[in-house]
Amino acid sequence: MNPSTRNLSKQRRAAKALRSNSAYHATGIAICLFFLAPFVITFLASFRHGTEARLPPLPPWPSSGISIDSYLSLDTFGAGIWQHTINSLLVSLATVVLTVAVSLLAGYGFSRYRFPLKNVLFVLIIATLMIPFQSILTPLFIILAKLGLNNSLLGLTLVYVTLQLPFSVFMMRNAFDAVPKEIEEAARIDGARDLRLLVRVLLPLVLPGVATVAIFAFLNAWNEFLAALILLSSNDKYTLPVLMMAVRAGRLGAVNWGAVQAGVAVMTVPCLIVFLLLQRYYMRGLMAGAVK
Amino acid sequence: MSDTGVVLTDIRKSFGSLEVIHGIDLTIAEGSFVVFVGPSGCGKSTLLRMIAGLEEVTDGEIEIKGRNVTDLDPSDRGIAMVFQSYALYPHMSVRDNLAFGLKMAHTEPAEIEARVRAASAILKIDPLLERRPGQLSGGQRQRVAIGRAIVRKPDVFLFDEPLSNLDAELRVSMRIEIARLHRELGNTMIYVTHDQTEAMTLADVIVVLRDGRIEQTGSPREIYENPANMFVAGFIGSPRMNLLNAQWLGNGKVAIGQTEMTIPVSGGGLKPGDKVSFGIRPEHLVVADNTDEGLDARVDFFEYLGGTQYLYCQLADGQPITAEHRGAEPIAAGSTVRLTSETGKRRLFDHEGRRLT
Ligand SMILES: Nc1ncnc2c1ncn2[C@@H]1O[C@H](COP(=O)(O)OP(=O)(O)OP(=O)(O)O)[C@@H](O)[C@H]1O
Ligand SMILES: [Mg+2]
Repeated sequence: MNPSTRNLSKQRRAAKALRSNSAYHATGIAICLFFLAPFVITFLASFRHGTEARLPPLPPWPSSGISIDSYLSLDTFGAGIWQHTINSLLVSLATVVLTVAVSLLAGYGFSRYRFPLKNVLFVLIIATLMIPFQSILTPLFIILAKLGLNNSLLGLTLVYVTLQLPFSVFMMRNAFDAVPKEIEEAARIDGARDLRLLVRVLLPLVLPGVATVAIFAFLNAWNEFLAALILLSSNDKYTLPVLMMAVRAGRLGAVNWGAVQAGVAVMTVPCLIVFLLLQRYYMRGLMAGAVK
Repeated sequence: MSDTGVVLTDIRKSFGSLEVIHGIDLTIAEGSFVVFVGPSGCGKSTLLRMIAGLEEVTDGEIEIKGRNVTDLDPSDRGIAMVFQSYALYPHMSVRDNLAFGLKMAHTEPAEIEARVRAASAILKIDPLLERRPGQLSGGQRQRVAIGRAIVRKPDVFLFDEPLSNLDAELRVSMRIEIARLHRELGNTMIYVTHDQTEAMTLADVIVVLRDGRIEQTGSPREIYENPANMFVAGFIGSPRMNLLNAQWLGNGKVAIGQTEMTIPVSGGGLKPGDKVSFGIRPEHLVVADNTDEGLDARVDFFEYLGGTQYLYCQLADGQPITAEHRGAEPIAAGSTVRLTSETGKRRLFDHEGRRLT
């Protein structure tokens, strides 16, 4: 092959790569647009001016200058936006921590130990997923009252953890099942036992599972509305979704659309942060290369 | 208590109600290289894992260096194990993989560094120390797994089919490497394999297992030349030993079909007419036309391997027999050959498979 034809074919290859690359990127951008549009509209609308903000949300962008009135007005509802954000964060983070701790240990037990009625127990745990949550709200309310945990964030957290556990235990058992037994045995020969074995060797290997459990626990606790509405009775304990109901109801018959959009924006940000922080583990197949 | 490497006393193992190891007694001399061989499912891995402490013994005692370790944790037994699947920690660098056991034992950092450096020098993995297992080839991973065993300075190395995930060429070089390692370190090593060549070349002592029992223990030469029974005779050697149905005639003579063969055994309690098995290895058979005593066989087909060829033949009464032919002249399928052998290479087994001398 002489140099000129070699160059030509190189050019042709480059052009082909460019074409397939641009198709790839165009598709990616189109999908991104679909996913980002709701966020963009909400964020833009939340920065509309005071009077404009009270109008229905079309067009969504601020047409008479940018203002943070909507965010400021959020603070006039309930016990102040900060208090409710803190309530929500407390409940959600506690739910994540408890759910991960319990499901990690339970998943490990179900995956590695032999004990009587193991499968029956496991099926029972999974079967609770089929019980409609609404049907146990009243009993839950009564139980929490008996425990002195009604109208408390701790009580709400415990309810969330309970609801979250069946899926999480299932998830963690599968994660532990995927870890080859030999790795654990090698660690035992190396002298890692019990908690050290779990934390130093196994935890890094089941991180994708932990991330999934954590994301689901956080999002479900953060967004949950019905249980919070029924189990919390005093104003200053409300979580953000319950507060949003008050915001949406408006005052004197007028709905403050700006405040609604601002509230939605405030509620979205932590979800985005959590997902972006954990998606790396969520996506990663860490096991590659451990065994052949 | 003896000072020998590893002593197993009446070791038994049951899974539920199923007993898979039926009372094994074995003494392994310190510094020797012992290979467990046997058919799949005979309990090689189970036995090794019991020595490692990964599997509890149902009954019996294990002693390592004169210390009863039967109820000790794996990490306290002075052993290190290399797994078939490598079982490296995928989230740690090679360096951390090697150092992990030492860190768990709270070894001084300087000592850890020195041992890791020494092990990686022995195995030539220094350039890989900062990589993750996922970024290594199969052979390199196996080196790291062996390195992880070396840094623990164990009394006994345990290997469970360490090379069977590697391709043929790599397997040969790793085999040589393990032999070198044994020479350099001088530790007791116990090695499980399916591979005859590995067993023959590496072992000081081969232990042949069947169905959770020891069939024979001995040096590769003993096992090959003087198999204790028909099972060992058929299991060791490739292609396997020919075992032909025969009849004891008395006076050091047997009849195979219509052919009489001399065999230098006393025959013990045999009576003329008793059924016996006549054993002869393919490599001990010679194609010879002008000999009085020989088995006439028709060549069904042959395999040409360059230096040698294997003739797959049938005797007149239909029994198959395999012979190795080193002669230059080709032998065509369908032709008839006369196979003979030195009388000293012939083996005789009674109807229960026991070797007769
Ligand atoms: N955890 C277990 N539960 C029940 N039975 C088991 C268990 N592990 C092994 N066995 C049984 O014990 C016997 C011996 O198994 P083992 O793994 O030791 O065989 P092996 O000689 O290593 O075979 P291979 O050459 O195929 O590796 C087999 O019959 C196997 O089915
Ligand atoms: Mg095995």
